[in-house]
Amino acid sequence: MLANYLKLAWKVLQRRKFFTFVSLFGIGVTLAVLLVATAILDHVFAPHPPETRMARTLGVYAIALEGDHARRTGFPGYAFLDRYVRNLPGAERTTFFTVQQTAVSYVGGRKISSWLKRTDGEFWKVLDFRFVEGAPFTDADEANRSFVAVINEATRDRFFGAGAAQAGVVGRRIEVDGQSFRVVGVVENVPFLRFAPFADVWVPISTRKSSGYLHEISGDFQALILGRNRAALPGIRAELAARVRRAQLPDPKEFHTVRAGAETLFEAFSRAFFSNGFQAAHPGRLRAFLLAAMVLFMLLPAVNLVNVNLSRIMERSSEIGVRKAFGGSSWSLVGQFLVENVVLTLVGGAVGLVLSVLVLHAIDASGVIPYARLSIDFRVFLESLGIALFFGVLSGVYPAWKMARLHPVEALHGRFA
Amino acid sequence: MIRHLLKLVWNRRRANLLVMVEIFFSFLVVFVVATAAVVLWRNHRRPLGFDSHDVWRVAIDVGQKSDDEFTAAQVATFAQVLHEARTLDRVQAVGGALTSPYSEASSETELEGRDGSRVPVEIDEVTDGLGDALDLEVVEGRWFDAADDGLAWQPVVIDRELARALFGDDDPLGRWIDKPPEPGDADAYQRRRVVGVVSDFRQHGELSLPKAHMLERQRVGDPRMRPPRNLLLEMAPETPAEYEEVLVRRLQAVAPEWSFEVRSLEEMRVSAFRLRLVPLVVGGVVAGFLLVMVALGLIGVLWQNVVRRTREIGLRRAAGAARSDVRRQILMELALVTSLGVALGVVLVAQLPVLDPFGILTPGVFAAGLVLSLALIYALAAVCALYPGWMAARVQPAEALRWE
Repeated sequence: MLANYLKLAWKVLQRRKFFTFVSLFGIGVTLAVLLVATAILDHVFAPHPPETRMARTLGVYAIALEGDHARRTGFPGYAFLDRYVRNLPGAERTTFFTVQQTAVSYVGGRKISSWLKRTDGEFWKVLDFRFVEGAPFTDADEANRSFVAVINEATRDRFFGAGAAQAGVVGRRIEVDGQSFRVVGVVENVPFLRFAPFADVWVPISTRKSSGYLHEISGDFQALILGRNRAALPGIRAELAARVRRAQLPDPKEFHTVRAGAETLFEAFSRAFFSNGFQAAHPGRLRAFLLAAMVLFMLLPAVNLVNVNLSRIMERSSEIGVRKAFGGSSWSLVGQFLVENVVLTLVGGAVGLVLSVLVLHAIDASGVIPYARLSIDFRVFLESLGIALFFGVLSGVYPAWKMARLHPVEALHGRFA
Repeated sequence: MIRHLLKLVWNRRRANLLVMVEIFFSFLVVFVVATAAVVLWRNHRRPLGFDSHDVWRVAIDVGQKSDDEFTAAQVATFAQVLHEARTLDRVQAVGGALTSPYSEASSETELEGRDGSRVPVEIDEVTDGLGDALDLEVVEGRWFDAADDGLAWQPVVIDRELARALFGDDDPLGRWIDKPPEPGDADAYQRRRVVGVVSDFRQHGELSLPKAHMLERQRVGDPRMRPPRNLLLEMAPETPAEYEEVLVRRLQAVAPEWSFEVRSLEEMRVSAFRLRLVPLVVGGVVAGFLLVMVALGLIGVLWQNVVRRTREIGLRRAAGAARSDVRRQILMELALVTSLGVALGVVLVAQLPVLDPFGILTPGVFAAGLVLSLALIYALAAVCALYPGWMAARVQPAEALRWE
């Protein structure tokens, strides 16, 4: 029976090629757009190496200084982190690092722009980098002001040529932003959109050209705090909040209040997204916003699907009449239309899957997002496929059910609804 | 005629309602994209006020993020860097500026306008050489010169937009921006007074919204004034890109604690242009996708309509209606449904100029965006009606009436 229905469904899809195309296009392209959008979100927020321990990691990403006449929002400075974020109870490890900056090198008359991040030895223990060669630098290197660098594979190839991978580059020197560093390690490329770990070249903080950063409350640093376990995170947040409330500022006449806190990456984004100064994070609001955007985006294709399905069914009233006249029950008719719609939606889903894989590969290959590795979120795929099924079944089966209950003569005559 | 059509539309209200909903949503999206396009197009047509040809920007990183705090040593080093840049053989003019054109950074404040309104102003602190480096066009008064070092107050050059907002048609020259200083005022050097007017200065480039601009004079070497964070160098034509290395090494030698990054202003112009075009392109793609969906949906419904109403159409033809009459009927019915959907959308967007969430929806922009989106939607509807209309017109009366 089912085989028969499937065969029938296939024939029906081929009969009205235009309607079939409209339905498949709608389902396929809508799914593809959703999958690409969620793949990018997943790429930014979900735990991927080197951020494998995100569940028990908090960051100090931003700071705001407030005074009676002025306010300044930006990144925390080293002095602030050193004074208030270090040694929080419940924290297993804490690392400070600069926001990556472009740094220029000139190699044999060529200009190479790299993203440079300065950080400490803990960085390599909080995050889970994959070393293809050598090892990270350590806290001793940071303390001794050693001019050592960890670079990614792309930087290795840019400085030493593609053939350098076999020979190994550990121990060779690179000049970045007028300073010379000895390479101690090479790591796999980290995607650009993973803002905390991302860089091309990592070097110790103490190698900065001037030591002015040591006294900055707001500057160009961020911190990651690895809690002992998930349960330790609320305590870390509370303790940092208490310390920040008690913080003394060097010039209270200009700025008297500091605002900063330990938060997850998504919370940090949600605050930046609804930015009206430095207010509380709104992760719930950002989630609702993203959801609403998705629903709005799917509305039109859904209306279209309903529309086309209605037209499709209307056309087939005489077929329904014939089946009724030969003793087909209402239920068997509904079953037939159900199978047809499920087949249509699944084919559309396959189209969407293929399309989104192609688009994601194109984005990875184009280099729009440096070092991107986008992957499909199959949970989102199944959810949107479910929504497509719901609308498809609703619009395809309900009219069929209504028609199936008509008198055969009426249906045969094409008089319905 | 209209009443008759309305009745026909009403008879198929369920299918038509869906079409209306589709038209309504796609109209909203198209309106947003069209209005954004109009705004960008109008921005693009305004004069820029400076010339980025052969200009290189050197961004200076002094190793600290904030530029509110600075030391006398930094001020002295900047003076040396500026001097060093001038001695380079391929550099024709050197200007220092706190923020560079085409960079996303800017420093903004609000001044009280002539009519008491708040006027948002972009402020830059620049050295005397900037006028030459960027070929600014002084339309009234004068540009800064070395003799200004002797002034007790702060000379500023403003653009015409700001002159109009602050002083209307009055002569802006010699007018005070701040309260005139009292004798013995320690902050007298900060009191700003207009010495010249430049035609325009749209820092963020061709596509940016026009904003009033003010240039404050930077007295190089004055320890009370923060050192600029950018150099703008007008290079000799045809300077090869490799010269960058020479430039950076020379500056680095003078200021070993600082970092320098060179980009051509032309390159920055292109990326600023792209950055502002991205939302429009994304919006355009989404709108295009929606329109294709709507078009396919419309054709589907119309087609179905024609197939179902073969007998009705046949009857009309038998009663003497010409093919063009049938075609017109299909077209008019669709036009009516489209208009209903669009009307709903227009009522909704008509609320926008009142709210004006972004302060850019002037009546001109609104009208242009509205006309553009209406034209697009109706054109789409007309195209969709072509094939079903042609099909309807081909109905043979005999064929159709066989059923009765």
